[in-house]
Amino acid sequence: MRALLVLITVSALSAACGPGTPRVDSDEAHLILAWDGSREPASLDGHIEPYQPGWLIDSFIADPLVALGPDGDYVPSLASAWSSSETATEWTFTLRDDVTFQDGTPFNADAVKYNVERILAPETQSAEMAAHVGPVARVEVVDDVTVVLHYEVPWVTVLDAFRRVPIWSPTAAEKWGLEEFHRHLVGAGPFLFDEYVPNDHVTLVKWEDYGGWSSMSRGGPAQLDRVTIRFIGEKAVLGNVVKTGDAHVAMNVPATYIEDYRDASGFSLVTGFQAGTGLSMTMNTRAPPWNDVNFRRALLIGTDQQAINDLLYDGNFLVTDGPLNEIHPCYWDGNKDYYPYDPDRAIALLEGVGYEDRDGDGIREAHGVDGVEDGTPLRVRWTILHYAEIGEAVQAQWRAIGVDLVVEMIPGPVQLERVNQRDFDLMYERQRSPDPMLLDMVWNSAHDVVGGWSWSGFVDEDLDSVVEQLRVVPDANARCELAKRAQEIVMDNALMLPTLSEPIFYAVSDRVVDFVLSSEGQFFFLHNTKLED
Amino acid sequence: MLLRFTARRLLQLAPVLVLISLMIFSIMHALPGDPVQLMLAGAESGSVTPERQEELRQAMGLDDPLYVQYLRFVGGAVTGDLGTSVRLREPVTDLILARLGSTLALSLGGIIIAVVIGLSTGVLAALRQGTWIDTASMVFANIGVSVPLFWLGLVFILIFSFRLGWFPPAGQDGLRSLVLPSLTLGLVSAGVISRLTRSSLANVLALDYIRLAKAKGLPDHVVYLRHALRNALVPVLTIVGLQFGAMLSGAVVTETVFSRPGLGRLVVQAILWQDYPLVQGIVLFMATSYVLVNLVVDISYAWLDPRIRDGEAPA
Repeated sequence: MRALLVLITVSALSAACGPGTPRVDSDEAHLILAWDGSREPASLDGHIEPYQPGWLIDSFIADPLVALGPDGDYVPSLASAWSSSETATEWTFTLRDDVTFQDGTPFNADAVKYNVERILAPETQSAEMAAHVGPVARVEVVDDVTVVLHYEVPWVTVLDAFRRVPIWSPTAAEKWGLEEFHRHLVGAGPFLFDEYVPNDHVTLVKWEDYGGWSSMSRGGPAQLDRVTIRFIGEKAVLGNVVKTGDAHVAMNVPATYIEDYRDASGFSLVTGFQAGTGLSMTMNTRAPPWNDVNFRRALLIGTDQQAINDLLYDGNFLVTDGPLNEIHPCYWDGNKDYYPYDPDRAIALLEGVGYEDRDGDGIREAHGVDGVEDGTPLRVRWTILHYAEIGEAVQAQWRAIGVDLVVEMIPGPVQLERVNQRDFDLMYERQRSPDPMLLDMVWNSAHDVVGGWSWSGFVDEDLDSVVEQLRVVPDANARCELAKRAQEIVMDNALMLPTLSEPIFYAVSDRVVDFVLSSEGQFFFLHNTKLED
Repeated sequence: MLLRFTARRLLQLAPVLVLISLMIFSIMHALPGDPVQLMLAGAESGSVTPERQEELRQAMGLDDPLYVQYLRFVGGAVTGDLGTSVRLREPVTDLILARLGSTLALSLGGIIIAVVIGLSTGVLAALRQGTWIDTASMVFANIGVSVPLFWLGLVFILIFSFRLGWFPPAGQDGLRSLVLPSLTLGLVSAGVISRLTRSSLANVLALDYIRLAKAKGLPDHVVYLRHALRNALVPVLTIVGLQFGAMLSGAVVTETVFSRPGLGRLVVQAILWQDYPLVQGIVLFMATSYVLVNLVVDISYAWLDPRIRDGEAPA
């Protein structure tokens, strides 16, 4: 009993006294990044971890084969060149010949083979990354600097996948095994992994032998001696830590705090966006009245996204007007004026469908709507995980056209349950990728299965055929043309209600120089970042 | 007699713990959502085949009948094996032990503050009944029990971290970083302790033996400290124990506001991830801790008051 008491006391005291998180005023070039605690990864091993924050941390420790630069182009990193066969079933990477991992293991084609096979091995239980890497039939090591990935089917998103795949040292990964490696990460990036205290911080230190292999580096080791990523649980704290000097950079600063940093002396506000669908609402077209395209169109026409953006976010979010947001490389311009806000026209469409307000309570009822009992009030559900305020603003706009919108905010597991049972009217869906293949994911009716991401219930041969080609056509321009055609079909059939795209706000101290965002605003590079006095 | 009392209470623990484990397990499995699908959230539908999902489900033992999963959970718990976290892929017991120190430090800090402030204001109020000191102490106590933890924590951060810069707003950065979260957690409990101390001491002070002690001419400090306070503290001890148990199991909000890496934050993450083994393990650990703290309180209560262990109701 006494021993237990001693153990508990020592444990509590050691927790109380340390390990101390380094503070901003340290002498060395020590960058402190404040990070939204809810975005802390479960595993730091990106082969296992299915979310972006984990991959971002990995990118500081392990350069990938290719990088996605600030202008949206794929640029060399550990691979100096790459090519695809015409059918996109063979991808050849030419590797740099001057790279070693942080533990001295040489980087070569065998190392790439090891990493790909590790991701795909069943025992790794890699869900997301294995899905991105795709159905690799075999990895061929041609020579030390040439590796070919042979796919079972055409796989066109290889570059998008490998910009995220951390290339780990095979020696270290083997030594520590799947369970322990995420606490002993070894790559060929600018920083060495130093320490991870879950729910508190990750510390990285400069790798003096880094050769500046990524195109994002100006050459040689990083300028920072140390980087600490601190996980902040409270948003009010996250919104203030740069201002109070407790951090140099805060990522995902809540929108309510951004005015404190805009035009402020000593700080700047950096805004990034992510290409993708934005915060979109998929319409369930299976049942009446949703199976009537004019009903769906009425809702699109009755929504003023710009007004919502101005009202809620001072115009800081990005108005999204179609299945892909405006910053997506394959955005279709035609989205812009497809459904201009026009409440009178929305009312006319609703009346055409059979919705009228005969009892004068402000909400329309069904009168001759196919499949809907007469007198049923026009009530629709808006089901979301977050950003309830957008739904509430839409609620006010739709009331003006006689639609009673019920906003329901649910946790992720409930959303999956509802989607599996197809029990929704308008369901929140957000996919983020600069590759247009996400249109296949969301709009191909073949993926309208439990566990799939195609939820609308809309089946159209033309749409299916167009988005399917996004899986097999490797040429970037041709893919964008297909994506534009798909967007047009989705918009014409009014299958979803686009809302806004959320920005990623970074509060950055003026001491921080060369903090470079990727074209995907959730990623940034620290290869050249400096701290100035 | 005390040994018999202790043995009886220990025996009563077993069904309580079984019931707790059953409730935790049932609630977790009644919640909507499939952990495998959550794990795959974001994965491309065309790439993660149903077969792959089934493989993952099997690897996690989620395809076994519920009673098998429950027996595995309880059987493991008895031997200290609470399973392996689905998302973190580490033994749940290790994860709990790794964060226990932080939560213990916070709870100890909180209870010390609660006892010091709660006792002193409660005693003052009881000794100065009807005066402004009494009123002020009880106003403080009522505020303490009414104020939401997260609000109090944020106010402290705003004043002592952002304005004055005395303490860090987040993290586990030595003893300084323990002050504000402990104060936040402690002040709420201080209100409860203060109110109980006042009423208990006020009751004792009205008893005949105190009047007798005063009539005998004993000095005030002897009457109050040796005779009154000692007896008045017996029920207070119970509430201190319960408050400590609640802090151990309920530091969720404080740990989140102050970004401390303790059990509370871990359980929030585990719930969001729908990590069955992790949630089950932590909740079982928290519930067991609470029950054990209760047991210690019961035993000490019986030790202090012979009427309890003899089965008599205290007057």
